[in-house]
This record gives sequence, structure tokens and C-alpha cells, in this order.
Amino acid sequence: MLSRGNPVIALQDIHVRYVKGPPWARTFHHALRGVDISVQAGQMLGLVGESGSGKSTIGRICIGLLRQTAGTALFDGQALFGVGQRLPGAIGAVLQHPEWSLDPLMTIGSSVEEPLKRIKGLGKAERHDRVADMLGKVGLRGEFMSRYPKELSGGQRQRASIARALITQPRFILFDEAVSALDVSIQAQILNLIGELQQSSRFAALFISHDIAAVRYVANDIAVLYAGEIAEQASARSFYEPMHHPYTRQLQRASGLFVDENP
Amino acid sequence: MIEIKQPIIEVRDLVVEYKSHPLPVRALDAVDFTASADETVGFVGESGSGKSTLAMALGGVSRSGVRPSRGSVQTFGRDVFALRGQDRRRFLSEDIGFVFQNPIGSLDPTRRIGHQFFTPDGQPLNEKRVEELLSSVGLEDTGRIMASFPHEVSGGMAQRVCIAMAISVNPPLLIADEPTAALDASVKTQILDLLTELRARARSTLILVSHDLHSVRKYCDRVCVMYGGRIVEAGPSRDVFDCPRHPYTAALLRSIPGFEGPGGRIEPIPGYPPSLNGQASNCTFAPRCALQIPVCRENRPPVSVEGDRTKCCWLPGNEIGMEISQAGRGYHA
Repeated sequence: MLSRGNPVIALQDIHVRYVKGPPWARTFHHALRGVDISVQAGQMLGLVGESGSGKSTIGRICIGLLRQTAGTALFDGQALFGVGQRLPGAIGAVLQHPEWSLDPLMTIGSSVEEPLKRIKGLGKAERHDRVADMLGKVGLRGEFMSRYPKELSGGQRQRASIARALITQPRFILFDEAVSALDVSIQAQILNLIGELQQSSRFAALFISHDIAAVRYVANDIAVLYAGEIAEQASARSFYEPMHHPYTRQLQRASGLFVDENP
Repeated sequence: MIEIKQPIIEVRDLVVEYKSHPLPVRALDAVDFTASADETVGFVGESGSGKSTLAMALGGVSRSGVRPSRGSVQTFGRDVFALRGQDRRRFLSEDIGFVFQNPIGSLDPTRRIGHQFFTPDGQPLNEKRVEELLSSVGLEDTGRIMASFPHEVSGGMAQRVCIAMAISVNPPLLIADEPTAALDASVKTQILDLLTELRARARSTLILVSHDLHSVRKYCDRVCVMYGGRIVEAGPSRDVFDCPRHPYTAALLRSIPGFEGPGGRIEPIPGYPPSLNGQASNCTFAPRCALQIPVCRENRPPVSVEGDRTKCCWLPGNEIGMEISQAGRGYHA
């Protein structure tokens, strides 16, 4: 837990229980068990863990798509669930596959502009200027505005989806495995872009990934999630040394770090 | 070429081109490669560098059945692209094991796992042998797994099943094309540990295609770094990654997270991978290379050999002045 300033996102003692099966054969799965995390403006919190550890469940709570079973989830002091409807454009998300956020039938320009249409009081000319400006910031030249997703490379598409997430100047952005599907050489460009944009726009962010090497590069702090609980949380810098928690150490080895270390 | 005692695979001047309009795509451009028994060789590079094409060519397999336009592949002394009919079938089923990226997709979704094991003659394998194989890849509860359909087991288990199939005839060559790309981080190490252990036990050869440089450094004896359909650098994997001699290897290492120190910066490789349409008569990395000299853009670089390392570059000497930071990866620890 961090204690500087008012957090943009604050999750306190969050429990999530998924219910499966018909009423006569109910089974329960505890996806999260008492998770506490908070993210300040300008801070990037990394979240690592393997499949089924609850990473994406936390992500869904943080963008207001899932209501927790117990605990408090706040965005700027307000309830998080449904925040997307109440405050359009306050939260953005960049997902693993850019195709999930870009409509194949819409040009890149219209896809990036779409979230702005939900914000009242913006004229067509102003929207157009903002889109051109934002595409420039993510390194896509003006000509990309009229192109379709299929005409772009994987890296360019991910840039476009980042532009779409940032266009409304959100206070919080979720990056859910945002670089996992990209080629090795493209990952570096996108990680640097995310870092630069965060420096200039000062949004709060949650960076979810299974790759500890990528997370420690972009995040300020890292929380390690194991079986629905935070196993360890520390500054990203400390992850450049072998960590104490055995599970974190296992993740570090799985990312190819500290492989020569004697057990 | 690298000095090898008993080469079991010899690739000479191999050119593979895929049909495309107006010019064919040259996926492999005059590649020379050898591998011996009892070693693990890694192929690394960006998408489109030709690493999968080369790995598959070692077994005489290629996309749409394209045959090499030039050069030869001799695996266990046989010209693999010249094999036909029954000979080819036997060669593929007895001498080579393949492990692919998507384990669940590699299995037949309509059959229970226990009914998917066959002998090279196409006869179902007896149950006892299947059980043996499944336990040899570290699967417990073999009875349940044999009775399950592929979608009922996890990705890691399905990959173990695929490995069990690949080793069912004890092939002297195992080709694994991104075997862990679709798997979770902790399962990834288990699968790579398993492949390496099985390889060492059988003293066979393992070809590991991967874009995960950290794993290749850990698990492979040798590595071939590929770019634009050519092997630009090869040698013992730790030497290559700790002290790269080709500017592309150095640039690649500096562009992935994990090799930078705390507060350090990763540097993307500027520009884009080359278009492989047509034949390049120069160094394909030259437009992105910080150290390029005029000759790089004009002529194809020569392959130079020094000890167990080779590189394909015009720059003289071995010191390319690109020290890779040791701090971030903790290999020193």
C-alpha cells in the first residue's frame, strides 16, 4: 500500500467469488481473497502472476466492469462499478490484442474519435484536431487516420489502440497484457511509448502482465498476485534483485531472470 | 562454419522461396547450418526472420510443400527434400519428433487422448505403452488423461501429451517450434526443463525455435540468430548473448526487457524488418544498423569463422563496441 496523496484507484479488502453451475450443484471459486491495492495519479502499478491468479479479475474491477463480492472499490472516492456509464472517458483500457478495441470496418481515425463522441460539448472540428494530435503522440502520421486496421502492422495497431484509450485524457488506464502479443522488437517501442505518455499525461495506470521483465521496466511498483492474494508488493527497482518470496522468485526464473543463481 | 565433430544435420546454401506477386518471398537466403548429435540448438529472431522455415526444412517440411530453389538439407545422411512416399513417411514418423506452439490445436479434438497415439505404421499404440509415455513426461493420473478429450486438459498438460507423442519412437531429432509461446510463465519452465531432460537422456538433438532469448540462453548449447532469412550470428548461446559480435544480436538484446539495469532504458531497433521480396545483394540489416559502413549497403557480407563462433558482417574484428549490461538480468548472481 502506498500512502502519498489521494489514490485514483483504491481497492480495499476486495473479495470476488464466482458462482458456477445450476442451483442444485453450485460450485464457488474464490478468485480474489482480500486484495488491497491503490494507484496514485502519475503512478504505474505492475501486477504479475500466472493464469488463474486473479490478475484479470482485478483489471475488470478497476475499469468498473465487475462488482466485487465484498470490500470497497473506489475511483476518486466514488464507487468503481459502473463508472464507465457515469463518467464517460474517465477510464481507458489497452488490451492484449489491438483487434479487440479496433472495429475492422472503421478507419483508425473514426475508431480513435469514437470515445470522444460520448463527451458532451465537443464539436466535430475539435474532435478531429484532438485525434490528429493524439495519433501524432503515439507515432502514427496523419495518413493513418484514413486507413483501416488490416492495413496496419501489429505494432501500429497497438499504437492506435493506445491512442483510443488516451484520447479522452482518462485519469486511469488499464494495460492488460498490452505487449504480450507483440513481436520482440516491437515490444520495446510500445513499452517506451507507454512510459513516455505516462510521464507527459500523468495518468494512473495498472499494468498487468505475466512477464516480470516487462513489468519492472515500465512500472513504479509491482504487486505479485498468487491464488487471489497479493503475495508481495515492492518497488519495481527491487525486482532487479532476486526477491524473497519463493513464488516471486519462481516468476523471475520463468522470465529468464537470475537463471545462473544457485538455488 | 562451426566446428562440429559428427554432424547429423548439414544444411548447405539453402534457399527457400514462397510464391508471391510480383517477386517471390525469399524466406531462407543461402543458409549454411550444421548440428551434431546430443546438443540443443536455438533459432532466434523476429517474426519473419525465417527461423520456423529453417527448423521445418530440417525435416523436409515446408509451407505449401515448396521445394528449395537451391541448396540441400542432409539429415542423418539423407537428402530430406528428395524423399518420397513411404520413405518420407517413415522418415518423418520415426526419425523426427515435432512439437508445435499450440498444443490443444495439435491434437484431434474429436478423439480421447489415449486413442491418439499411433505407431509409425498407423496402428494404435497399446494402452500400457501410452501410459508409460505419459508418465515419462511427468503426467500423473494417466488414466484420467487418456480418457479425456483435448479441451478437457490444461495447456501445459496438452503440451506434455504432444511431447509424449513426439518421443514415442525415440526420434534422434526433436524439432520444437515455439513450444511454450502459448503457455503460462511457470508452465513454460517445466516444459523446457522436460524437453532438455528428455533430450539429454536420449542423447538426441533438439532444435528449439523461440523468440524468448532468456530461455534460449538458459536451455540451448548453441544459438543461431536469424535476420531476413539469413543466420547472422551463431555460436555457444551464453557467449553469443553475453558478448555479441553482430550488431543485430546486440541491438536485439538491447531491445528486450530483462537485459537493462535498474533505471536503464531498452532501445527499440530503429526502422522495420526488411522486405524479403526478391533477392538482396547486400546486408539486409544495414538500413537499421548504427555501425554500417558503405560496403554494407552494396555487397553481401561474408561469413567469418573464429573458433566456435560465426558471424555474417562486414565489420572487421570482434569488438563491435556494444557491451550488453549485465546488471538487469542477474546472470552474475
